[in-house]
Amino acid sequence: MGKDVTNILVCGVGGQGVILASDVMADTFLEAGYDVKKSEVHGMAQRGGAVVSHVRYGQKVYSPLIRMGEVDYLFSTEKLEVLRWMEYCTPSTVVITDTVQINPPAVNLGEMEYPTDIDDFLKGNFEKVYTVDATEIAKELGNARAANVVLLGVLSKLLGIEEALWKKCLLERLPKKLHELNLQAFEKGRLAV
Amino acid sequence: MVGLKRRVLLGNEAIAWALLQEGATVLTSYPGTPASEILDTVIKLKAELQLRVHASWAINEKVAFEIALSNSWLGGRSAVMMKQVGLNVALDPLMSAAYTGVKGGFIVVAADDPGPYSSQTEQDSRLLALFAKIPVFDPSTPQEAMEMVGRAFELSERFRIPVMLRPTSWVCHARQGLQLRGIEAVEPSLSLGKDPYHWAAPPRQRFRLHRELNQKIGEMAEGDSFSTLGNPEAELAVVASGVPFAHLRDLMRSLGLEDRLAVFKVDRPFPLPRGLQGLLRRYRGVLLLEETYPVMELQLPFRDRVHGRLDGTIPSEGELTPEVVLRALRKLLGEGPLGEVPRPPEGSRPRLCPGCPHRAAFWAIKEALPGGIYPSDIGCYTLGLNLGAVDSFLCMGASISLAEGFYLSLKGSAGEVPPICATIGDSTFFHAGVPALIDAVHQRASFVLVIMDNGSTAMTGGQPTPASAEDGKKAVEMEEVVRGCGVEHLQVVDPYDVPRMVKAVKEAYRFTQLHGGPAVVISRRPCPLIAREPSRGVVRVTEECTGCMSCVEETECPALEEGEGRPLVLEDLCRGCGLCVYVCPMGALELEGG
Repeated sequence: MGKDVTNILVCGVGGQGVILASDVMADTFLEAGYDVKKSEVHGMAQRGGAVVSHVRYGQKVYSPLIRMGEVDYLFSTEKLEVLRWMEYCTPSTVVITDTVQINPPAVNLGEMEYPTDIDDFLKGNFEKVYTVDATEIAKELGNARAANVVLLGVLSKLLGIEEALWKKCLLERLPKKLHELNLQAFEKGRLAV
Repeated sequence: MVGLKRRVLLGNEAIAWALLQEGATVLTSYPGTPASEILDTVIKLKAELQLRVHASWAINEKVAFEIALSNSWLGGRSAVMMKQVGLNVALDPLMSAAYTGVKGGFIVVAADDPGPYSSQTEQDSRLLALFAKIPVFDPSTPQEAMEMVGRAFELSERFRIPVMLRPTSWVCHARQGLQLRGIEAVEPSLSLGKDPYHWAAPPRQRFRLHRELNQKIGEMAEGDSFSTLGNPEAELAVVASGVPFAHLRDLMRSLGLEDRLAVFKVDRPFPLPRGLQGLLRRYRGVLLLEETYPVMELQLPFRDRVHGRLDGTIPSEGELTPEVVLRALRKLLGEGPLGEVPRPPEGSRPRLCPGCPHRAAFWAIKEALPGGIYPSDIGCYTLGLNLGAVDSFLCMGASISLAEGFYLSLKGSAGEVPPICATIGDSTFFHAGVPALIDAVHQRASFVLVIMDNGSTAMTGGQPTPASAEDGKKAVEMEEVVRGCGVEHLQVVDPYDVPRMVKAVKEAYRFTQLHGGPAVVISRRPCPLIAREPSRGVVRVTEECTGCMSCVEETECPALEEGEGRPLVLEDLCRGCGLCVYVCPMGALELEGG
């Protein structure tokens, strides 16, 4: 990266496993020998629908927050949520997003329309964009909730950290009965790159 | 002892681990973001490691403080944890305990919420440490918070004084890899002893205790509690504590500022080390980075070269994000402003969850008492604001006293008194609502009080209330408490039974009109998130639907969307509470499987 610290902004909607995805990342980077800092939201902020977690790793990391304009990877479990964090990104930010759409309250209440041109916007503004049908893939495997793990598979392929470490840390965070399905979801994500 | 490796821990988990590692035997708290997970973790570790410590959720922060303090007076190490506004509730014992002192180490963890993300104020607890004249540690990372717990216990025992640990949200809710030590069982020998000079000092003795306290603080200020980084020979200096220090370190590295700035990292902002004050005089400019009030800045006797909140270099409200710190650094370095700090994007508007029993209760209240005054309280139900069923919230328990006050004022005025209906959660009712209810009964203040009893402290993750019977604790029955306060009209209703709920609120109002004094409805149904109950079914839209969208607009339920000319039920989210079935003016919605 040519930088001391790699910054990953993980975002999505409550219930999509944003926190789990960021936990697996943090565990993996720690296992790989890096210093890691991560932030997440709790309490009233958690009732807001939009969920975000900052994950940072490198030889030495001090702050748990990413400065605006410093995101290296934007990891989103929902397509519209990507737009919420544009001030944190630059054209060289790598965008990884599920194609699934979850309407925010303003769309539900008819106050706004879900934007239809997000794909064009992303392709026009970022050098590297990975839009993945993660929820669809996870549904086919039998559980839509594994979409976050499909996306983790995508990210793992881009970061150059040993695959086995990712899998180990992923399984440590999950109950045994979900291991097989999530390993498949992770593999599918890696194949999508 | 358990085998320990390096683990990624939440700041609050790290604090909990450190408190137990350092031998705390009594740990108490009242839940509140961002502090809640500290005692959650203590209770979990206690069970996992079979520790013989007392760990309990108290009815409120004042009581929690006093329980923990008593163990310290007996000689055991103790800790009490709360969010910043909780410290306001515990301020009375804190002020006095600073005078009386302690025996076993005593730590007050007050977690601040700059921003604020989940609080009614962004007050700085360090200023209350200064006010009470007790030392305060200000960690910048989970790791530092862990280390400071040990230092705080030592300082507390050496000076026989309560010590504050003040983490902020991005310490509490940050994670980092930490090396843990084992937790060993401790058996402190406990005895109060006869020491009236400290534990029962009358006002005349309090003067002497105050002088002792001043001596303690004066002596502590002589010690060093800061470290020097960067280039001490530079012309400009930065003094930093807490999370802004972590932002500063990253910025100095990425901007290559190591040679251009002297940096003084302060672990203990009060009392500010006297040696530091002397050192700072040699610099042409000194920038203070601290969250949220100018606590260190106010302790510096010279002002002309000091930049921070008092001269406007740092905004007086809001958190010190990396962007704000960057702008302040540029000002100090004379590099010209970067313009306005862009506001981080707003999250979508918070809403009650699908199936939340509060939603049905609020709708019933509006239906029963339209045009009323609706004071509410602190908890998930502040979100009733979106539904037009909440007119005010101030602080814990205030819904009841405000309702009393509104009634007493309006009764004395010329016009008619509108219906007044206060709402409060079960945990908040126990916390600070009970004295207010007794007062309202005593004053014959006429209003309806709906206690929204979901069986837990839901907003903070479902901690128990005094009505919970887990772990062999005695469940205090809410009905008995309400009647014991002198309330003469009480009904308990399941809010999912919307017609009954509407009727109960109307009847309660009628009682207040006929007999005077408050009437209470307990709206009882467990929080579906915490009780993990299965869904009761799914709502279907039938042919009768005219597409008026009342169901979407009046319930603001996340499971309902405006579809093409008709509402759309998101089946994954719908919990079958059935409120929308009652709301629909056409009777066009049906609950299937209910």
